[in-house]
Amino acid sequence: MSATSSPHALAATQAQLPRARMLGWIGLGAIAIIASLSEFVASAPAGMIGAGPVLQPPSPGFAFGTDALGRDMLSETLRALNVTVTSALPAAIVTLVFGSSFGFAAARLPAAMGALLRAVIGVFVSVPAFLLAIVITELSGRGWYCAAAGLSAAPLAFVRAYGRCRTLRLAPHVRFARLSGLTPMALFRRDLAYELHDALAPSAARALASVALIISIVSFFGFGATPPHDDLGSMIAAARQSYLHAYWTAAFPALALLSLVLFARLAAGGESGEQP
Amino acid sequence: MTRRIFEIRKLSLRNGRRFELEDFSISVEAGDSITILGECGSGIDALARVLTRVTGRGDQLHGIQFGDGDRKALARRIKPGARIAYLCGASGSPLNPSASVVAQLVRVAARGGSLASGKVELRAALERFSSAPSFESLDRKPQELKPVELAFALLATAAAQTPELLIADHAFDGLTPIAIAALARDLMNEQKRQGFALICLTRDLQTAVHLRGRMMVLRGGKIVEEGDFDKLASGQSHAYTRALFKSLPSRSQTPCARNNRSGDPLLQVQGLDLETRRRGDDRAPDGLSFKLRHGAALALVGDEGSGRGALVRAMLGLDPVTNGRVVFDQVDISLLSTQMKSRLRRRIAFISGSDDVLDPRMTLVETLDNLLHTQLRLPRDAVAASRDAALRRVGLASRSGRVATLSRFDKRRLQVARAIASAPVLAVIDEPLLGLDAYAQSIMLELFRDLRKHEAPALLVITADLRVAQAIADDVIVFKQGRLVERGPIAGIIRAPKDAETRRLLAAALPYAADEATQQTESATPEPATEPQEAAILDILRREYAVTESSG
Repeated sequence: MSATSSPHALAATQAQLPRARMLGWIGLGAIAIIASLSEFVASAPAGMIGAGPVLQPPSPGFAFGTDALGRDMLSETLRALNVTVTSALPAAIVTLVFGSSFGFAAARLPAAMGALLRAVIGVFVSVPAFLLAIVITELSGRGWYCAAAGLSAAPLAFVRAYGRCRTLRLAPHVRFARLSGLTPMALFRRDLAYELHDALAPSAARALASVALIISIVSFFGFGATPPHDDLGSMIAAARQSYLHAYWTAAFPALALLSLVLFARLAAGGESGEQP
Repeated sequence: MTRRIFEIRKLSLRNGRRFELEDFSISVEAGDSITILGECGSGIDALARVLTRVTGRGDQLHGIQFGDGDRKALARRIKPGARIAYLCGASGSPLNPSASVVAQLVRVAARGGSLASGKVELRAALERFSSAPSFESLDRKPQELKPVELAFALLATAAAQTPELLIADHAFDGLTPIAIAALARDLMNEQKRQGFALICLTRDLQTAVHLRGRMMVLRGGKIVEEGDFDKLASGQSHAYTRALFKSLPSRSQTPCARNNRSGDPLLQVQGLDLETRRRGDDRAPDGLSFKLRHGAALALVGDEGSGRGALVRAMLGLDPVTNGRVVFDQVDISLLSTQMKSRLRRRIAFISGSDDVLDPRMTLVETLDNLLHTQLRLPRDAVAASRDAALRRVGLASRSGRVATLSRFDKRRLQVARAIASAPVLAVIDEPLLGLDAYAQSIMLELFRDLRKHEAPALLVITADLRVAQAIADDVIVFKQGRLVERGPIAGIIRAPKDAETRRLLAAALPYAADEATQQTESATPEPATEPQEAAILDILRREYAVTESSG
């Protein structure tokens, strides 16, 4: 039975966490810059058919190759990344408002009421988020697919925020603060300040990762973005016919999506079970 | 000739550029008892990593290990060559918090053999220790057991492995003096019975006092002094060892000066008879009456489950009072609403041995600012001055960062700073020395004396350690199993305890009574009230913790 865990080992693993987060935010920043400058970086105008030979593999002239219509894949991927990011940002805000902030508030309700609310929201968590997004999109109209993606990711965000805040309320230092005469309102203001300071950025990054994936899946199934404003999901869907013999038509949009989600999850710090 | 179990010479441990341990040599023979004493940063944690074979990736080990007739250069880890059992502390045990304690300990006791034999050995070991819990009662999660029960369970597990060498790594941390005394006694009895060698790593000199045997003092990664305990106790050559032994309390130590303020008492308890919520064995004392004047200090002393906790909860209005009265500053608290009681408690400072009463998200500055501005409604310009002065007084002026990154000692001092800043009428101090090393304990006691001298709040000390009561209290009430067994001025209680429970607490807290006779023969007149010790400790504070001398 080992008696001690090395404080140095613990400190080393804990030091890796902020480094990973920093890498995540740097990556997100780079993606944001590339996406916003996509019109300037792209070598071909949007949707230009016949810019090059049909289904040409990656080459010096066309870094990402061309698709079945002869369009430059690099230009199209950059624009699709732009569309995905600009769709995901408002969706992430919807998730934060209807998920994390509601969870924070619900943790302050009387225990029974909060538990009931959590159970009800938990039912929606058990439904795959992209299915929920498709249902909401069909009910509200295709133009609202971004908001639908945000709402579909909100239940999980609610449950996380609720669990975190509920655990905090039972913490010894909170009980002590109440014991020593701190008013409930003062405690609420303090918790809100630290929630905004500590949890807002990771929650936002986590929401961004979720909604980017949901939006892309919804578009993949044809319920989201439509041409000419393709996002990464619809690009991957459009390349269905050429997955095997022209991998680049789907691989580069998929890599772009993967990068976005990966950097966003790094910035969020990973899930609690993934942390050392 | 006794068999050599283990020998290392010139052991060095480097992590990066820093040497955590240098030229450490130890030779252990069967039946030896060695206590290695060192505070935080002395290299004792590095030595613990080496001996328990959990060196980290960045650790580089150098030295020579001697086995049976051969010598090997050390590489990554030491190779024991003997059957070793490890005994860790209850507070730092690596037990799975979600699993049953007995199920986990049986596996350890079995040492890879059959679980049935592990069960038999563990049960037999538990029965040998009079203070140990029963085998069946261990079928609970670790957090459901009391620290002393877990400590004995871990000792029984180590003993059940019939080791040749037992390494106790801070096994006594976080225990009350009575628990330490009982655990040490059973450990030594078991050692005599089985004949194993014992290496005990500890931060607390009190543990060494109970274990005796050979002692090694670590400081700055090196051994500064070693020898037989009794020989060291009679004379030390190194200044650090001398300061450690000087900080040991003695029964002849003059208590701090009484504050003879007259006037209405701050707190009056009259015929208290509680309707308590039973928590385990915690029963409340019955029909109790006492007064606590402004500026006075009262210690409520008793082992866990003696009822002092229930009494304090009633006094602070946290538990209902059926018979009797509690009057705080001329107000009967049973007449107050919950909100008024909460407001009343803003005038009370709490200092606890449990460091999780501090919000880990806050920084040092925010901890005090929140108290001064939000709770006490001080204007912003006054907050900064009070906060900085309080942090300077406890030696935390140069520290920054979140509470979660602070050491235990720093957290404890931050609590004292909070008490200083709030200028309370009453300070409730609950087991303030728990888990601190010898040096830190002496500094904490000095800070309490300083708090009493300058802020002069009434003190209500809740402890199982009579040392704390002796250092800062005027009067003491001793509890046992819900009954008041003895009360009176602290000096009188310590000089001539009447009750068996008081004597038991005294023996556990002040085992080092041999110095009484030595001190009394050495000096014709008693030493002045801890002045030389104060000066030495303040000097250390200035050097190491950058505390400016208190004014006045």
